[in-house]
Amino acid sequence: MARVMIVDDAMFMRVTLKNILTKEGHEVVAEAQNGEEAVARYAETKPDVVTMDITMPKMDGISAVKAIIAEHPEARIVMCTAMGQKNMVMEAIQAGAKDFIVKPFQPERVIEGIAKVVGA
Amino acid sequence: MKVDFVNPFVGSAFSVLQMVIGDSPKRGELAARTKLFKSQPVTIVIGVVGAVHGQVLYGMSQETARRLSGAMIGQEVPELDELAISALAELGNMITGNAASQLAQAGYIADLAPPAVIQGPEIIILTVEAALVVPVITGCGTIEINIALEEARQA
Repeated sequence: MARVMIVDDAMFMRVTLKNILTKEGHEVVAEAQNGEEAVARYAETKPDVVTMDITMPKMDGISAVKAIIAEHPEARIVMCTAMGQKNMVMEAIQAGAKDFIVKPFQPERVIEGIAKVVGA
Repeated sequence: MKVDFVNPFVGSAFSVLQMVIGDSPKRGELAARTKLFKSQPVTIVIGVVGAVHGQVLYGMSQETARRLSGAMIGQEVPELDELAISALAELGNMITGNAASQLAQAGYIADLAPPAVIQGPEIIILTVEAALVVPVITGCGTIEINIALEEARQA
Protein backbone atom coordinates (compact mmCIF):
# COMPACT_ATOMS: atom_id res chain seq x y z
CA MET A 1 0.00 0.00 0.00
CA ALA A 2 1.18 3.50 -0.75
CA ARG A 3 1.99 6.55 1.38
CA VAL A 4 0.06 9.36 -0.30
CA MET A 5 0.07 13.17 -0.12
CA ILE A 6 -3.17 14.92 -1.14
CA VAL A 7 -2.91 18.45 -2.57
CA ASP A 8 -6.18 20.36 -3.08
CA ASP A 9 -7.44 23.75 -1.92
CA ALA A 10 -10.97 22.40 -1.30
CA MET A 11 -11.44 20.73 2.09
CA PHE A 12 -14.28 18.71 0.56
CA MET A 13 -11.98 17.22 -2.05
CA ARG A 14 -9.26 16.40 0.50
CA VAL A 15 -11.82 14.60 2.69
CA THR A 16 -13.29 12.72 -0.31
CA LEU A 17 -9.89 11.63 -1.61
CA LYS A 18 -8.74 10.62 1.87
CA ASN A 19 -11.85 8.43 2.31
CA ILE A 20 -11.32 6.74 -1.05
CA LEU A 21 -7.62 6.11 -0.40
CA THR A 22 -7.82 4.94 3.23
CA LYS A 23 -10.69 2.56 2.39
CA GLU A 24 -8.34 1.00 -0.15
CA GLY A 25 -5.63 0.58 2.51
CA HIS A 26 -3.40 3.49 1.51
CA GLU A 27 -1.97 5.84 4.11
CA VAL A 28 -2.42 9.60 3.72
CA VAL A 29 0.83 10.97 5.15
CA ALA A 30 0.32 14.64 4.26
CA GLU A 31 -2.24 17.11 2.99
CA ALA A 32 -1.56 20.49 1.40
CA GLN A 33 -3.88 23.31 0.38
CA ASN A 34 -1.72 24.98 -2.25
CA GLY A 35 1.41 24.43 -4.33
CA GLU A 36 3.76 26.09 -1.86
CA GLU A 37 2.63 23.85 0.98
CA ALA A 38 2.88 20.85 -1.32
CA VAL A 39 6.54 21.53 -2.13
CA ALA A 40 7.41 21.89 1.58
CA ARG A 41 5.37 18.88 2.74
CA TYR A 42 6.81 16.69 -0.04
CA ALA A 43 10.36 17.29 1.18
CA GLU A 44 9.33 16.50 4.78
CA THR A 45 7.30 13.35 4.14
CA LYS A 46 8.65 11.91 0.84
CA PRO A 47 5.34 10.23 -0.09
CA ASP A 48 5.16 7.38 -2.63
CA VAL A 49 2.47 9.21 -4.61
CA VAL A 50 0.98 12.71 -4.76
CA THR A 51 -2.52 13.67 -5.96
CA MET A 52 -2.30 17.24 -7.29
CA ASP A 53 -5.04 19.75 -8.05
CA ILE A 54 -4.24 22.52 -10.57
CA THR A 55 -6.37 25.57 -9.73
CA MET A 56 -5.14 26.64 -6.28
CA PRO A 57 -4.18 29.90 -4.58
CA LYS A 58 -0.53 30.96 -3.95
CA MET A 59 1.05 28.41 -6.30
CA ASP A 60 -0.90 26.35 -8.87
CA GLY A 61 -0.50 22.61 -9.28
CA ILE A 62 1.57 22.69 -12.47
CA SER A 63 4.16 25.03 -10.91
CA ALA A 64 4.20 22.73 -7.87
CA VAL A 65 4.85 19.66 -10.06
CA LYS A 66 7.79 21.48 -11.68
CA ALA A 67 9.21 22.51 -8.29
CA ILE A 68 8.86 19.02 -6.78
CA ILE A 69 10.31 17.22 -9.83
CA ALA A 70 13.25 19.67 -9.94
CA GLU A 71 14.34 18.53 -6.47
CA HIS A 72 12.96 14.99 -6.49
CA PRO A 73 13.04 13.65 -10.07
CA GLU A 74 11.69 10.29 -8.80
CA ALA A 75 8.43 11.90 -7.55
CA ARG A 76 5.24 10.20 -8.73
CA ILE A 77 2.46 12.74 -9.16
CA VAL A 78 -1.10 12.16 -10.37
CA MET A 79 -3.01 15.27 -11.43
CA CYS A 80 -6.54 15.41 -10.07
CA THR A 81 -8.33 18.46 -11.46
CA ALA A 82 -11.47 19.84 -13.09
CA MET A 83 -9.31 21.45 -15.80
CA GLY A 84 -9.31 18.59 -18.33
CA GLN A 85 -8.43 20.57 -21.45
CA LYS A 86 -5.69 19.23 -23.70
CA ASN A 87 -3.27 22.11 -23.11
CA MET A 88 -3.45 21.52 -19.33
CA VAL A 89 -2.90 17.76 -19.70
CA MET A 90 0.10 18.37 -21.98
CA GLU A 91 1.59 20.94 -19.65
CA ALA A 92 1.20 18.70 -16.60
CA ILE A 93 2.71 15.64 -18.32
CA GLN A 94 5.60 17.73 -19.68
CA ALA A 95 6.18 19.03 -16.16
CA GLY A 96 6.55 15.42 -15.01
CA ALA A 97 3.10 14.26 -13.85
CA LYS A 98 2.47 10.53 -14.41
CA ASP A 99 -1.32 10.48 -14.79
CA PHE A 100 -4.21 12.92 -15.19
CA ILE A 101 -7.63 12.39 -13.59
CA VAL A 102 -10.48 14.78 -14.43
CA LYS A 103 -12.99 15.73 -11.72
CA PRO A 104 -15.65 14.67 -11.06
CA PHE A 105 -14.24 11.14 -10.92
CA GLN A 106 -15.41 7.70 -9.88
CA PRO A 107 -13.47 6.32 -6.87
CA GLU A 108 -12.23 3.40 -9.02
CA ARG A 109 -10.49 5.82 -11.37
CA VAL A 110 -8.45 7.24 -8.49
CA ILE A 111 -7.57 3.79 -7.10
CA GLU A 112 -6.52 2.63 -10.56
CA GLY A 113 -4.42 5.78 -11.14
CA ILE A 114 -2.58 5.34 -7.84
CA ALA A 115 -2.01 1.60 -8.42
CA LYS A 116 -0.64 2.28 -11.88
CA VAL A 117 1.99 4.82 -10.81
CA VAL A 118 2.99 2.87 -7.69
CA GLY A 119 3.47 -0.28 -9.74
CA ALA A 120 5.51 1.53 -12.38
CA MET B 1 -21.84 38.13 -25.03
CA LYS B 2 -21.91 35.14 -27.36
CA VAL B 3 -24.77 32.72 -26.79
CA ASP B 4 -22.23 30.04 -27.86
CA PHE B 5 -20.66 30.41 -24.44
CA VAL B 6 -23.84 29.18 -22.73
CA ASN B 7 -24.16 25.60 -23.98
CA PRO B 8 -20.83 24.32 -22.63
CA PHE B 9 -21.94 25.39 -19.14
CA VAL B 10 -25.34 23.75 -19.39
CA GLY B 11 -23.85 20.52 -20.78
CA SER B 12 -21.16 20.51 -18.14
CA ALA B 13 -23.63 21.23 -15.30
CA PHE B 14 -25.78 18.31 -16.43
CA SER B 15 -22.94 15.80 -16.59
CA VAL B 16 -21.24 16.97 -13.38
CA LEU B 17 -24.51 16.97 -11.39
CA GLN B 18 -25.43 13.55 -12.73
CA MET B 19 -22.12 12.16 -11.55
CA VAL B 20 -21.87 14.01 -8.24
CA ILE B 21 -25.44 13.84 -6.92
CA GLY B 22 -26.85 11.13 -9.20
CA ASP B 23 -29.61 13.38 -10.45
CA SER B 24 -30.86 14.15 -13.97
CA PRO B 25 -31.40 17.95 -14.00
CA LYS B 26 -33.74 19.90 -16.23
CA ARG B 27 -32.98 23.15 -18.00
CA GLY B 28 -35.09 26.23 -17.31
CA GLU B 29 -35.58 29.20 -19.60
CA LEU B 30 -32.65 31.35 -20.66
CA ALA B 31 -32.83 34.95 -19.45
CA ALA B 32 -30.60 38.02 -19.64
CA ARG B 33 -29.43 40.12 -16.72
CA THR B 34 -27.86 43.55 -16.42
CA LYS B 35 -24.24 43.93 -15.27
CA LEU B 36 -25.42 45.09 -11.87
CA PHE B 37 -27.75 42.73 -10.06
CA LYS B 38 -28.82 41.47 -6.65
CA SER B 39 -27.46 38.05 -5.75
CA GLN B 40 -29.24 34.94 -4.56
CA PRO B 41 -28.66 33.99 -0.87
CA VAL B 42 -25.73 31.68 -1.76
CA THR B 43 -23.49 32.41 -4.74
CA ILE B 44 -20.40 30.57 -5.96
CA VAL B 45 -18.18 32.93 -7.97
CA ILE B 46 -15.48 31.76 -10.37
CA GLY B 47 -13.24 34.04 -12.39
CA VAL B 48 -12.25 33.08 -15.93
CA VAL B 49 -9.17 34.51 -17.69
CA GLY B 50 -7.82 33.86 -21.17
CA ALA B 51 -9.38 33.92 -24.63
CA VAL B 52 -12.68 34.43 -22.82
CA HIS B 53 -12.80 36.31 -19.57
CA GLY B 54 -15.25 37.38 -16.93
CA GLN B 55 -17.14 35.57 -14.19
CA VAL B 56 -19.43 32.61 -13.85
CA LEU B 57 -21.76 32.73 -10.83
CA TYR B 58 -23.86 29.88 -9.48
CA GLY B 59 -26.73 31.25 -7.38
CA MET B 60 -29.10 29.28 -5.17
CA SER B 61 -31.23 29.40 -2.03
CA GLN B 62 -29.87 28.40 1.39
CA GLU B 63 -31.97 25.26 1.28
CA THR B 64 -30.69 24.24 -2.14
CA ALA B 65 -27.13 24.91 -0.94
CA ARG B 66 -27.67 22.67 2.12
CA ARG B 67 -29.27 19.88 0.08
CA LEU B 68 -26.66 19.99 -2.70
CA SER B 69 -23.69 19.98 -0.33
CA GLY B 70 -25.40 17.26 1.75
CA ALA B 71 -25.79 15.08 -1.36
CA MET B 72 -22.11 15.60 -2.20
CA ILE B 73 -20.85 14.85 1.32
CA GLY B 74 -23.25 11.96 1.87
CA GLN B 75 -24.84 13.25 5.07
CA GLU B 76 -27.33 15.89 6.08
CA VAL B 77 -26.05 19.48 6.28
CA PRO B 78 -28.13 21.39 8.89
CA GLU B 79 -25.90 24.44 8.52
CA LEU B 80 -23.40 25.49 5.86
CA ASP B 81 -20.08 24.78 7.59
CA GLU B 82 -16.60 24.87 6.06
CA LEU B 83 -16.87 21.37 4.58
CA ALA B 84 -20.28 22.13 3.01
CA ILE B 85 -19.11 25.46 1.56
CA SER B 86 -16.01 23.80 0.22
CA ALA B 87 -18.20 21.16 -1.46
CA LEU B 88 -20.21 23.93 -3.16
CA ALA B 89 -17.00 25.69 -4.23
CA GLU B 90 -15.75 22.43 -5.70
CA LEU B 91 -19.06 21.90 -7.52
CA GLY B 92 -18.65 25.33 -9.16
CA ASN B 93 -15.04 24.51 -9.97
CA MET B 94 -15.97 21.19 -11.60
CA ILE B 95 -18.80 22.65 -13.70
CA THR B 96 -16.69 25.61 -14.83
CA GLY B 97 -13.59 23.45 -15.40
CA ASN B 98 -15.47 20.98 -17.59
CA ALA B 99 -17.11 23.85 -19.50
CA ALA B 100 -13.65 25.40 -20.00
CA SER B 101 -12.49 22.14 -21.58
CA GLN B 102 -15.36 22.37 -24.08
CA LEU B 103 -14.59 26.04 -24.75
CA ALA B 104 -10.94 25.08 -25.35
CA GLN B 105 -12.06 22.58 -27.98
CA ALA B 106 -13.91 25.42 -29.69
CA GLY B 107 -10.67 27.43 -29.70
CA TYR B 108 -11.17 29.52 -26.58
CA ILE B 109 -8.43 28.54 -24.13
CA ALA B 110 -9.06 29.95 -20.68
CA ASP B 111 -7.97 29.30 -17.10
CA LEU B 112 -9.95 29.54 -13.86
CA ALA B 113 -9.34 31.31 -10.59
CA PRO B 114 -10.04 29.46 -7.32
CA PRO B 115 -13.73 29.80 -6.35
CA ALA B 116 -15.25 32.10 -3.76
CA VAL B 117 -18.58 31.45 -2.03
CA ILE B 118 -20.66 34.45 -0.96
CA GLN B 119 -23.56 34.20 1.49
CA GLY B 120 -26.12 36.85 2.29
CA PRO B 121 -29.40 38.09 0.84
CA GLU B 122 -29.42 40.56 -2.06
CA ILE B 123 -25.75 41.35 -2.26
CA ILE B 124 -25.17 43.72 -5.18
CA ILE B 125 -22.82 42.23 -7.73
CA LEU B 126 -21.24 43.94 -10.73
CA THR B 127 -19.93 41.59 -13.41
CA VAL B 128 -17.60 42.37 -16.31
CA GLU B 129 -20.33 41.75 -18.86
CA ALA B 130 -24.14 41.49 -18.75
CA ALA B 131 -24.92 37.89 -17.82
CA LEU B 132 -26.99 35.24 -19.52
CA VAL B 133 -28.79 33.20 -16.92
CA VAL B 134 -29.74 29.53 -17.21
CA PRO B 135 -31.67 27.89 -14.38
CA VAL B 136 -30.75 24.25 -13.88
CA ILE B 137 -33.44 22.42 -11.95
CA THR B 138 -32.22 19.53 -9.80
CA GLY B 139 -33.79 17.30 -7.16
CA CYS B 140 -32.02 19.48 -4.57
CA GLY B 141 -33.49 22.72 -5.95
CA THR B 142 -32.64 25.20 -8.69
CA ILE B 143 -29.13 26.44 -9.47
CA GLU B 144 -29.03 29.66 -11.47
CA ILE B 145 -25.96 29.73 -13.70
CA ASN B 146 -25.01 33.33 -14.52
CA ILE B 147 -22.53 33.43 -17.37
CA ALA B 148 -20.87 36.84 -17.69
CA LEU B 149 -18.07 36.24 -20.18
CA GLU B 150 -16.66 38.21 -23.05
CA GLU B 151 -14.23 37.35 -25.78
CA ALA B 152 -10.81 38.87 -25.06
CA ARG B 153 -9.74 41.43 -27.65
CA GLN B 154 -6.84 40.30 -29.78
CA ALA B 155 -3.69 42.38 -29.46
